[in-house]
Amino acid sequence: MKILNTTGAIALFATSLLLTSCGNDNAQSKVDASTIKVTGTMEAELTSPPFVPAPVGDRDAKKLIVNMEILEEEGTMADGVTYVYWTFGGTVPGSFIRTRVGDEVEFTLSNHPENKLPHNIDLHAVTGPGGGAASSFVAPGHSKTFSFKTLNPGLYVYHCATAPVGMHIANGMYGLILVEPKGGLPKVDKEYYIMQGDFYTKGENGEPGLQTFDMKKAVDEDADYVVFNGKVGALTGDNAITANVGETVRLYVGNGGPNLTSSFHVIGEIFDNVHVEGGDLINKNVQTTSIPAGGAAIVEFKVDVPGTFIIVDHAIFRAFNKGALGMLKVKGSEKANLYSGVIQEGIYNPEGSTLQSMPGEEVVETKTQNKTLAESIASGKLIYTNTCFACHQANGEGIASAFPPLAESDYLNADLERSINIVLHGKTGKITVNGKKYNSVMTKQTLTNEEVADVLTYVYNSWGNNKTHVKVSDVINANSGH
Amino acid sequence: MKTTIRLACIALFALSFQAASQSNMVFIKGGSYTPLYGRDSMQVAIEDFYMDTYPVTNEAYVAFIQAYPEWKRSRVIKLFADGNYLRKWATDKTLGTEQSATAAITGISWFAANAYCECQGKRLPSIDEWEYVAMANESLPDARFTENYNAYILSWYEKPHTSNNDVGSTFKNYWGVYDLHGLVWEWTSDFNSVLISGESRKDVDNDANLFCGKAAIGANDLMNYAAFMRYAIRSSLKARYTMNNLGFRCVKNAND
Amino acid sequence: MACEGEKTYDDTGACPVCHMDLLTTASLTPELSEIGHSESSIFNLTSQWHTEEGEKILLEELKGQTLVMVMIYTTCKAACPRLVADMRRIEELVAKEGSDDVRYVLISIDPETDNPERLKAFAIENSMNGPQWTFLQGTIHSVRELANVLAVKYKQISPMDFSHSNIISVFNAEGILVHQQEGLGVDNEVIVQQIIKTSST
Repeated sequence: MKILNTTGAIALFATSLLLTSCGNDNAQSKVDASTIKVTGTMEAELTSPPFVPAPVGDRDAKKLIVNMEILEEEGTMADGVTYVYWTFGGTVPGSFIRTRVGDEVEFTLSNHPENKLPHNIDLHAVTGPGGGAASSFVAPGHSKTFSFKTLNPGLYVYHCATAPVGMHIANGMYGLILVEPKGGLPKVDKEYYIMQGDFYTKGENGEPGLQTFDMKKAVDEDADYVVFNGKVGALTGDNAITANVGETVRLYVGNGGPNLTSSFHVIGEIFDNVHVEGGDLINKNVQTTSIPAGGAAIVEFKVDVPGTFIIVDHAIFRAFNKGALGMLKVKGSEKANLYSGVIQEGIYNPEGSTLQSMPGEEVVETKTQNKTLAESIASGKLIYTNTCFACHQANGEGIASAFPPLAESDYLNADLERSINIVLHGKTGKITVNGKKYNSVMTKQTLTNEEVADVLTYVYNSWGNNKTHVKVSDVINANSGH
Repeated sequence: MKTTIRLACIALFALSFQAASQSNMVFIKGGSYTPLYGRDSMQVAIEDFYMDTYPVTNEAYVAFIQAYPEWKRSRVIKLFADGNYLRKWATDKTLGTEQSATAAITGISWFAANAYCECQGKRLPSIDEWEYVAMANESLPDARFTENYNAYILSWYEKPHTSNNDVGSTFKNYWGVYDLHGLVWEWTSDFNSVLISGESRKDVDNDANLFCGKAAIGANDLMNYAAFMRYAIRSSLKARYTMNNLGFRCVKNAND
Repeated sequence: MACEGEKTYDDTGACPVCHMDLLTTASLTPELSEIGHSESSIFNLTSQWHTEEGEKILLEELKGQTLVMVMIYTTCKAACPRLVADMRRIEELVAKEGSDDVRYVLISIDPETDNPERLKAFAIENSMNGPQWTFLQGTIHSVRELANVLAVKYKQISPMDFSHSNIISVFNAEGILVHQQEGLGVDNEVIVQQIIKTSST
């Protein structure tokens, strides 16, 4: 009786656990985003930084038309310093694209006729080859259209992916695309768009005149300027972003790189919520969040006291010596009990770090196979890759209805001499392999007897075949018997 | 039929300016070199040939159109040119008000450039020929590894609106040829032999399904970004495309 | 016109509303080219070709049938066997649907090696010896020109080896490009439907 009672108790306990976890699952039932239906068409509102388009709110998924233009033009990097930026939509970062999960985006990329170079676009929100880059490669004076369905909510980077990719990104070709979940993100009072980038110029930081891109510094990751929104001072003084005391602020923060990870921090504020890496995971009460190159994050906080709050990359020399500094100006009445006093700035001395390394591990491989067979197989594998792979594929699986498989092939294993002759003389007509019919043409292969022996040895010793070691003499016999 | 047209072209041209333009060619001594996109360290051999000193100018092209009216903007067929063909010209026969007569002709397709060269008894250069002459700076026939050479070219890529500068406004290179860099891009006869898909991350891990023949996509010196750009532009073009920054020049075999 | 729709003017100059240049109406109406083909027709190429039977033809002699074109070379090891198999498969599927007014044209990108004899041998070896199959040898120049029209890219990388893009193109009876399929091992269903549709109009 005692045993029954304990088992019963455990059973009850286990069932109750199951029931509670089931309850949690129902609250977040998963919809396969590829099946979301679209109703109607709308043209996307594209905005220049630091502003973002209106929230999607409750709207259904729609066919969303996005028209993005690429412009290569000279702009101001800092006082007295100019730079030729390559831009999406005329700004660095490029226009902000706001979509909803399930939208079918019809994306047209246009390359202005006065531009010199071809470009394309890779949107991290796209599920498809190259993120759209393969379909959007476009010469100046032309445009290309492709479409994709947004399957995952989140905040994503987009950038140009034309060779040399690093140079295109380094010249400012990046931006953000937001995919809101069904129903949209929770409402806040103010939303802004900030994107960090590192720039590499021939001259040092501050050297006046038109600066050109320096490839060597970019490869060495030796940045001259690290800035928000494309230039020094894009978010300071009159360009500062603003809010009122008591409002909730959401910042969509991206990092175009090309090289440096951002340690994003707002001095004097704590992030109430951080959508870590722009995904579903929400962290709370965060001081500084890491935003990788080619990544993004959404930070939300309520501004409780007035003042100017400095936005920085907390790799602090970048903030004070290279331009990674912006401002959030908050207006409203003082709240002395929350804060009274002056904002303090501190300089941090980076401490030296000792490098540690793990002792190396060596793995010694011993070869115990018969050398001759192994050599034959190795050589046969090379021949296979050059000659047979195209039709019979990497693992001998062939192509349905076109080329028969070589893996576990009854046809192959039944008759060695026939197989040799097929390689030497080709084959046409109907055959049945592993129960399936094929009626195709295999051309004869111009291989030496030794090559035939090697490649067949490789095939017979791979993918579940009967491990015959085919010798040159076998090949000669089969050929002469013809 | 083709020969008759060609004879007609030459006849009409000869009277106007063909003699003058023939003399504006320089002799290029053949040799061998390793181009950027080639098979490992495969050397390419170039035969002797003559190259136009300057890119074809606006005024030369105006004369061409008058002799060969099939290539007028209002008459060119869609197969041979896209909608931007000679878009900046004011009319079929006159340049735009902002265009200089001695600037390089741009806004023409490969078919048009091809026809022009043929009309003169010349042809477009191959990529290998063009790159062979273009790797020179003022004093060296092969300046690709000097810092200034690459820096000059890269800085041109960032300079807007050079297409309306006059021909001859850039440097004269070792061979006596001007404007291979710093003015406009130029058509080549086999620009469509550049097998980059445009999705350059994929080009490293080449897709044997789209382009067969693996070795064609390796680049010899990955630091040679200046040349990279030219290959990127070539791979983005189709023969009927026209571009505001794309012109051409002609070459001729030396041993004909 | 961008601003005023179909309105035309009698003088040259610029539109008074948007200031864009006026184009002559001649450039806007679809016209026949000098030799009587539609503007976008491939038959505007006047190059001469040799078939596998040793005949000399102009491309316009192929007018009147749906054309399915691909560019290959006979010493190819990697992609061409696949392209050839694709072509055979497409031909099989199209013939099954009863569309027989289709011609399959394979053009060599190696005209120096692939003369009519080699092309004929290739045709026989690959079971493409029927009247619906045509192989063409051109010149280095005419092949480059045709490849440019088809947007096929290719490069010779060694005496026997070319690197080339893999595109199958479909032309209607007037020689206008109606469809292209890029890549190997792609599902042939779409192109088969296109061919059937084209040959039935």
